[in-house]
Amino acid sequence: MLGEERRAGHEGALTEPPSSRLVSPDIRDEFGLETIDMNMGPQHPAMHGLLRLILELDGETVVRCDPVMGYLHRCQEKIAENRMYPAVIPMTDRLDYFANMHNEHGYCLAVEDLLDVEIPPRAEYIRVLMCELMRLASHIPSIGFLMLELGAFTPILYAFRERERIQSIFEAVTGARMMFHYIRIGGVKADLPPDIPQKIWDYVESLEAHFKRDFVDLIEDNEIFISRTRNVGKMTQEQAVEMGVTGPALRCTGVDFDIRLDYPYSVYPELQFEVITDTAGDVEASYRVRIGECLQSIQIIKQCLEQMPEGEVLGDTGRRIRPAEGEGFGRIESPRGEFAVHVVSDGSDTPYRVHYRDPSFCNMQLLQEIVPGHYLPDIMPIMGLIDPVSGGWDK
Amino acid sequence: MALTLPEGDLQSRLERYLEGLDNRQGLEGSEIVDGVVRIVAKKDDVPAVLATARQTLGIPHLSFITVVDREGAFELTYELIDLRGATVRVKTTIEGDEPVIGTVTGVYPTANWHEREAYDMFGIAFAGHPDLRRTYMWQDHFDHHPLLKSFEISTKRTFEGLR
Amino acid sequence: MQTVLNLLEVEPIRLLISFGAVLFLVLNLAAILTMAERKVSGYIQLRYGPNRVGPRGLLQPAADVFKLFTKENVSPGRSDLWVFLGAPIAMFIPAALVWLVVPFAPDAVVADLNVAILFFVAITSIGALGVVMAGYGSRSAFSLLGALRGAAQMISYEVPLILSLLGVVMLAGSLSLVDVVRAQGDTIWTWYFLPQLPMFITFYVSGIAEVKRVPFDLPEGESEIVGGFMIEYSGMTWALIQAAEFASMAVMSSITVTLFLGGWQPPLPFLDLGPFNWVWFGIKTALIMFTFQWIRWSVPRLRMDQLMDLGWKVLVPLTLVWLFVTAGLMLLFPSLGA
Repeated sequence: MLGEERRAGHEGALTEPPSSRLVSPDIRDEFGLETIDMNMGPQHPAMHGLLRLILELDGETVVRCDPVMGYLHRCQEKIAENRMYPAVIPMTDRLDYFANMHNEHGYCLAVEDLLDVEIPPRAEYIRVLMCELMRLASHIPSIGFLMLELGAFTPILYAFRERERIQSIFEAVTGARMMFHYIRIGGVKADLPPDIPQKIWDYVESLEAHFKRDFVDLIEDNEIFISRTRNVGKMTQEQAVEMGVTGPALRCTGVDFDIRLDYPYSVYPELQFEVITDTAGDVEASYRVRIGECLQSIQIIKQCLEQMPEGEVLGDTGRRIRPAEGEGFGRIESPRGEFAVHVVSDGSDTPYRVHYRDPSFCNMQLLQEIVPGHYLPDIMPIMGLIDPVSGGWDK
Repeated sequence: MALTLPEGDLQSRLERYLEGLDNRQGLEGSEIVDGVVRIVAKKDDVPAVLATARQTLGIPHLSFITVVDREGAFELTYELIDLRGATVRVKTTIEGDEPVIGTVTGVYPTANWHEREAYDMFGIAFAGHPDLRRTYMWQDHFDHHPLLKSFEISTKRTFEGLR
Repeated sequence: MQTVLNLLEVEPIRLLISFGAVLFLVLNLAAILTMAERKVSGYIQLRYGPNRVGPRGLLQPAADVFKLFTKENVSPGRSDLWVFLGAPIAMFIPAALVWLVVPFAPDAVVADLNVAILFFVAITSIGALGVVMAGYGSRSAFSLLGALRGAAQMISYEVPLILSLLGVVMLAGSLSLVDVVRAQGDTIWTWYFLPQLPMFITFYVSGIAEVKRVPFDLPEGESEIVGGFMIEYSGMTWALIQAAEFASMAVMSSITVTLFLGGWQPPLPFLDLGPFNWVWFGIKTALIMFTFQWIRWSVPRLRMDQLMDLGWKVLVPLTLVWLFVTAGLMLLFPSLGA
């Protein structure tokens, strides 16, 4: 378990459970206390996107927190019913825009479930390599965002420096820095350029060397960070699973559910890596889980580069992708949790129905349950625990 | 408190789930295909089937609730995951244009927002839901349910004649 | 020419001219500090700060001031306009007034009061009023929260601020800032920051809290209440609030230097510059201001209850204990006092 020995003797600043700070409505009526209704509106510099939180505050304590979504709703599921199967892939890029490769991969897995295409092994390895690079490019900024919302302005710039380097690798491989349209039905679009594996290897080695200095040393033992994040947003395993939380937010409570190991897909059965969990279930635990997952991703990338076979990169799907009638399901582990796609086909060129189960959407239910009882400034670290992306919850 | 997940290896768990859920009357079909226990139930039985799954069999996680508009009927799929490799997929069909089904929020609290999304997009009313309001669309002056097939988009195109 | 210089000796004129000069210095300092802040933050964050306007970006403050002069002063529709517009003025006046007693060099004080420390303490307390006026006058939920937090924080941190300078007063035997500087010897190890180290740290930390900078910038909490009490200000009103904030940061630094770091005195006697000792004062003040900025860009911010805990439960007992220690040592070793 991570962090157990560090916690001994230091409870952080929250020594009693948040629910003890809530005053019951009868007492409030008796003393004539009122609550303020406040809006942390859609326009907010620290809201992880366009989210409106309707808050009811009793002084600084949040009594009720109600997320209102829909400010970035782009009707992706409706539009996908009117596009041919390969043309839906650029739209999946724009779902959770910090995990583009994972969205594409999930959708392609669902469609390949409907078809009967064989994916070449080199394509599988390239898919996993790209997904793990994307996981690095998503976890490191999420640590930066956590620190930005706590008030430290510097780690986010270090994080984006790493993301820029990863994005330039993606640009060399796929041609785009952010919306890749690279993973196709049956494989990937094109092979890696010949010098890229060496560049990825060098980058990953250098990242491993200075990762601790940049993202762990200045944050982990910082007294202010500990008192702002320890025991804040604390969940039990029961609570987390009941609310449908998956991903690092669930693993930080101690449940070791990782789709790469429990519902394996692609070439993950052939790769060696661990699932990082922490028992505490608070914001600091989620920070540690993300740090551990970054280091595990580096190991996976190295193994992919070593084990990658030669061969083709796109399987033979025929000229038009026209699956038989039926349903296809794909489920992958995105940096935020479980991303599942359900594709229904009616035998024509366009899907009949596409549904995305996005982890940001499901993890946001935490806000309604966990936040009441915390102080107003604690909402930001709890959003850092959930780490939602607005393209995800709004589709 | 620590979460207890169901015991046993994958095949035995799948068979246990099939047996546990198959004991109900009124199920229209059940089988194990490709490592997924598929159950087809009547719409009135769905809350009870999911309650059995949660309470008796201990399946902890509801992954998603999908709705497909089959133009005259709605087909709902509930996917349950036991976090260790087994999946239970419960399907049901609601006939007609005014769909109503019982909520499963009491059994799986995460269904709250999935059912809200189904209501918003398809107009399915979940009886007993604590807070049934729209997720994405405007709350006040928008009476349509966008993902219905009858809600046509203005830029619909056909693909006839394309090679 | 001689009559003009004689005129400068006449009391009200001397006061007005020298205060005018100091005010000019302070306003320029506020502008330069915005530039320094951005360059320092840039280099800490592995980037250049502004480097387009002028050589290495040094004319950026001029561009900023020009922009702010031409910007529209928006006020919320239902704000209380007198209170709303009076708040930046009420914030700037205390920050400017304290400069009356700051000693730049042995004879270069605008007003050599013999109760200068009391004056300093009294005037900085008024700063809390401006914050509350800003938050109340804006009539919005975020600014109300920011104002309440600001008032609570500033009033709470005045207690350790005042207690921590009592040790210096005891050692120097006088409330006059000039006497305090003279009483600290002219070598770096006789300055008061060494014998009064806990008080120095407390005064420094309370100074950061009084100026509402990270880690104590919750009244302006950029991540949740986006600007707090100054969320509704734009254009020149906002510029005046920022100038007040930088001026009070500079004044806290200069008082810290005066009380604990020897004022205008050089660290070692042979480095004495005679009438140009204000250079030493400037260097030391700039060093303290740099540390304010260094801390701002390095650490996260404290939450309100943690901030209050720090002030009341840690800093106040520390200063009280050290007061007794100082008093006891002065009784035992009478040569310590002046």
